[in-house]
Formats: sequence, structure tokens, C-alpha cells
Amino acid sequence: MAVALALLGVALQTTLFVRFRPFDATPALALLVVLALARHLGRVESVVLGFGTGLLLDLLSETALGLWALVATTVAFVTVRLRHRFEDDVTLLIPGIFLVSFGALALYGLLGTIFGEQTLADAQVVRKMLLPAVYNTVLAAVVLPPVTKLVGERGRSQTSWGGL
Amino acid sequence: MWRRTGIDRSAILFAALVVVSLVLMTVDLRASGGGLAGTLREGTQTVFTPVQKAVSFVTRPVVGFFEGISDLVGLRGENRRLRQQVAQLEQELAATESLQRQVEELEAIMGIEPPESLDAVAARVLATGVSDFDAIRLIDKGRRHGITVDMPVVEEGGLVGRVVSVTDTSARIRLITDPTMRVAVRVDRTGETGVLTGRGGGLLSLEMLNTDASLIEGDLLITADGRFPAGIPVARVAEGAEAEVGFSLRTTAIPEAELTRVDYVKVLVFTSEQAGSADLEEGSPIGTEMIPIP
Repeated sequence: MAVALALLGVALQTTLFVRFRPFDATPALALLVVLALARHLGRVESVVLGFGTGLLLDLLSETALGLWALVATTVAFVTVRLRHRFEDDVTLLIPGIFLVSFGALALYGLLGTIFGEQTLADAQVVRKMLLPAVYNTVLAAVVLPPVTKLVGERGRSQTSWGGL
Repeated sequence: MWRRTGIDRSAILFAALVVVSLVLMTVDLRASGGGLAGTLREGTQTVFTPVQKAVSFVTRPVVGFFEGISDLVGLRGENRRLRQQVAQLEQELAATESLQRQVEELEAIMGIEPPESLDAVAARVLATGVSDFDAIRLIDKGRRHGITVDMPVVEEGGLVGRVVSVTDTSARIRLITDPTMRVAVRVDRTGETGVLTGRGGGLLSLEMLNTDASLIEGDLLITADGRFPAGIPVARVAEGAEAEVGFSLRTTAIPEAELTRVDYVKVLVFTSEQAGSADLEEGSPIGTEMIPIP
């Protein structure tokens, strides 16, 4: 189920915003799905899923192979590390999603420049980090509840790596 | 606070995957996107294209609904502007038809062979890049339809970009707004040449080769690049500029094609070898008619 949701996230990310791009920006939907899944899956499973989703993004883009893999793995790892705080205090969830999304895109920008993508040469680099993070924060209200319902507690209890 | 659980296998795995990612990036960079990574990309895109087509088919009406709502705001003004434009174009068309007849008659008298118009493959944009940093569009036509890497892609307004990779059933286009894209252009009014560079979206950066040239706001920039047929509109100067002594002449330009909402495109069956023989006429934006797709 988690893999299917990640695939759906990537498919929606690439097809939903061909013509509808408010302020010429789109959400980082695939990263949001990774974050939503990492809240419920086992630690190891989350990191592997993040890596797999990122690798798929790499293979569907023209960026250096491994760039999105590193970013999505980091998103999964950070979420796994911080998720108990989200559970303890739900008000941290919204700023948490914004910061993780923004941080992930900033990491992409930095690594992209190091690996020859000229990401930071982009005149709209700040906007391209900020707006998707804002959209992700708004979309979290739509994405998180169904993911919780579909993988939720079942995800944590059924995974063979659940306790790791 | 971090939770410590003896040997944290997720942290070890994370570190290992970071190393794997860095190795992959280095290897891919050395292979310049070709080799095993290129094969993997083509295979993944081939497998994923039907998924993207299915999702696009399902979501298009929903997206269209939201798009329609956002378009309602400027609809009345646009309608009035389009009516004026239609009236003006009808007048221009009548004049052009008359001129075309004269040209054909003169060509027959002089025995000149008119340049053949380029073949084009019409395609629908199926997907975007995986992020806003990726100025890429995926189209639903590929190698099977005669598309190869480096072919120019246009839409009604002008140049959209060029094909950077192709599978049997799909192709990826890099838009002219990508920071790695550079297109040599000519100012239609003066004939002066320059280079347009992508800035990631919105405006393009224009640097003129002759620093004594002057640019006026609205100047049309057309292709003068061996990789594209000559004469395709690319952009219009956004801000007039005149060089100061000893300085280069730089300004910005607005792409002619509506790149943020491009839905249908045409891939021109053109390779750089044809550059000398397939020049389009000035003022003729694309050369062939848009082929409607059901």
C-alpha cells in the first residue's frame, strides 16, 4: 500500500500541474507523500521508501541520478526522527511540514548546484523553494488524513521492520 | 530530542543510502547522463508513461474545472481583445494572400525553387518535470513517430524548447527557460545577433554580441542558431537597452510561447544538418499548420 501511494504521489506530481500552476509554482507532492508515509511506517522501511521514491523522481527527470534520492531519503529520515514530537504536539505538524519541505528543496538547490544543475543560478530560486513548501503545508490537510487512514497504525504494526 | 534505541539501524541505513546517492550522482555526472543511467531512465519512462497517461486522463477534467474558475476573472477583457485581434488578422490575411500570389508568380518567372516547409509532429504535453527546478515537459509522441534528440519544439507563439531524450512512445523537452539553455537569436528589426539564456522561468536573459546595437521594448527576437530553423519567434525584448561605452549590452526578454500553460506542441522534424537548407521565411512563425489532435 505504501509503495502504491508513493507511486501515485509521483504520478500526480508530474501530471496534475501541466496547465494549472498557480503563481507558476507547484507543490512538492511526492515529498509530501514520503513525509506522510514516514509518519507511520517503520524507521528502516521509511528510509528505504524515501530512497526508492527519490530514485524514481531521478529516473523521471534529467537531473543527476541520486539527487532526489538523497533529498527524499533525508525527508524520510528527518520525519522518522521527529514524528514523536508531531504526535506529542499536533500544532508543530504544520510548521514542521513547511520546514521539512523547504529544507528539502533548499538541500536540492545546494546539491544541484554542486552537481552541475545550475539550480542556484535560477533567478527564481527562493520562490521555487518557498511556494512549493507553502503549497505542501496547505495540501497536508488533504494528503495526511487519507495516508493515515490507509497505512496508519496498520503500517507500523504489520511491517517486519516496525520496531526498528 | 532524539530517541536513542541501542544500535540505530535506520541511521546506519540512512548514512549508507546517502553514500550510495553521492556515488550515483558522481557516476552519472561522469557518464554525462548516458550509459547505464540513460538506459535506466529510458526504461523507467517507458514503464511509467502509461501510468502518467492514465492519471492525466482521470485528473484532466478536475484540473480543467479549477483552471476554468481561475480563467473566469480575465475572460471578458480577453474576449474583447481577441475580437480586435481577429479583425486585424483578417485584414492582414487578405494582404498576405495577395502578396503570396505575387511571390509565386515571380518565383515561377525567375525559376526559383521555394524552400520546402518542415514536417512537424503534433503532440500533447503529458507531464511536467518532477519539480519547479526541472524545466522539462513530457510529450506523448516519441521515436515511433519520428522524433529524435535535439529536434526543436514549437507552439503557436514560438519556440518552446528542444527534445533532450526520447523513448518509443514519449519524449522529454527542455524548455528555453532552463538555465542550461542558450539560443542564438537575431533582432528582427535590426538584424543584430545575440544570445538568449534561460533564468529558470519567466523572463529570459539577452546578451547582444554587438554592444553598439540598441534594443527597443517589444523588439522581436527570432532564432539564428544552427540547431533550430531560422526565423522562429523566440521572445520579445522586455526592456529597451543601449550599451554604455565598454560595457556589454544586456537586457531581459519575454518568451513568445506561453510556456507556463503549454498543452499542445509541434516537434519540427529538423536536424542541425538541415540548417542551411530549411530556413523558414521571416515572419512565418512555424511554417506548417497546427495539426489538431482529438
